[in-house]
Amino acid sequence: MFYKISVPPVADVEEIRVLEWHGEPGHQFKAGDLVVELETHKAIVEVRAGQDGVLRKVLSNAGNWQQIGLPLAILSDGGTEALPEDLNAMADLAVEFEIT
Amino acid sequence: MSGSFPSAVKKLFFREAIARAVGEEMRQNERVFVLGQDVGAFGGSYREFDGLFAEFGSERVRDMPVAEAAMVGIGVGAAAAGYRPIVSITYMDFMMLGFDPLINYGAKLRYKTGGQLTAPVVVKTTAGAKGQGVAHSQCIEAWMMSVPGLKVVAPSTPADAYGLLKAALREDGPIVYVDHKRLFPVAGEVPFSESFVPIGKANVCREGTDITLITHSYMTRVALDAAKLLESVGISAEVVDLRSLALLDISTLGASVQKTGTLLTLEEGQVTCGVGVEVIRRLQELLGLFPAARVGALPAPVSSNRVLEEVCLPDASRVAAVARKLLEKK
Repeated sequence: MFYKISVPPVADVEEIRVLEWHGEPGHQFKAGDLVVELETHKAIVEVRAGQDGVLRKVLSNAGNWQQIGLPLAILSDGGTEALPEDLNAMADLAVEFEIT
Repeated sequence: MSGSFPSAVKKLFFREAIARAVGEEMRQNERVFVLGQDVGAFGGSYREFDGLFAEFGSERVRDMPVAEAAMVGIGVGAAAAGYRPIVSITYMDFMMLGFDPLINYGAKLRYKTGGQLTAPVVVKTTAGAKGQGVAHSQCIEAWMMSVPGLKVVAPSTPADAYGLLKAALREDGPIVYVDHKRLFPVAGEVPFSESFVPIGKANVCREGTDITLITHSYMTRVALDAAKLLESVGISAEVVDLRSLALLDISTLGASVQKTGTLLTLEEGQVTCGVGVEVIRRLQELLGLFPAARVGALPAPVSSNRVLEEVCLPDASRVAAVARKLLEKK
């Protein structure tokens, strides 16, 4: 199954900048691993995987901007399934995020 | 960014536009320095001075105690002695404590010394309501518009924050630069190469034909939202961002009102003796009488209670309702 990881709802923020990905496509994340750090106007948002998954495709590279709620990357349970065409139908990956 | 042609703009957070402007000016002129509360290692209350302490050190990025009168006083004095300080007063409400050195000394210095001395100080401060209550929410820029010798600017975008601050740091007299708490979460495109926004030049940020909305700072965003509401009922609103409150760009404002024939002014501060009443009067001296209305905060303190704060402040639907009423009367 495929999941997308989206910009979490941070209060007062419309748009974030991707600071750093903590793995290349193909990397296996375990629940609790730091996946990506995002930058708001005053804080860093650490986004951690809420379940295991393989990073398949980064949609927004470090330095790029993305609106709240829009997708940043695609993950899947295994590392081999072919990427589907329609990203919109994909479920959101469970994430935990912490604002520091 | 790829290829051999770099993009002409770069997207920055509002705070980054400020840090870039100050950093560039500090690199080019060793007499520019920063003083204020938390401007040093902390990087500024809104992180708008991030990186400057690391680059320029504690001599040129100076943390100050909570003593606004002293901060502005030192700034004005250092400016008179040939420096170009930028004094950061976190909340505009506390500029009141710095009025004596700023208004009685800084703004008068050139006149009083027959042009022998000037006080090129920038007082940077943050206005506006965002849940912080009666003494941390005010917009008192109109008070300062009436001081001869003092200039006042207020950007609504990162690009204008950058360009106005750059221009302010090259002005020959004291200037108050006002940003807004609700502008800090905003990101926007800023010219990649060094540039300036001239003091005294308004910006037509949306063209229209039926009514002119003249505003500044965060309320520019509210005016643009109101213009969208008006568009949905067939009214074409032009939105003009003052950017400079003193000096006012009467020719740009006048050209807009001459075209639309109707004016609504919008500010977050009080309408009594506010920015709007001055704009309306100055334009009526130029163009004769035309239908006009002012929108601003209700005549009450801004509460830290969210509900009371919201009802006190203008929003897009209130602006649109006043605009429609004004046009119905025509």
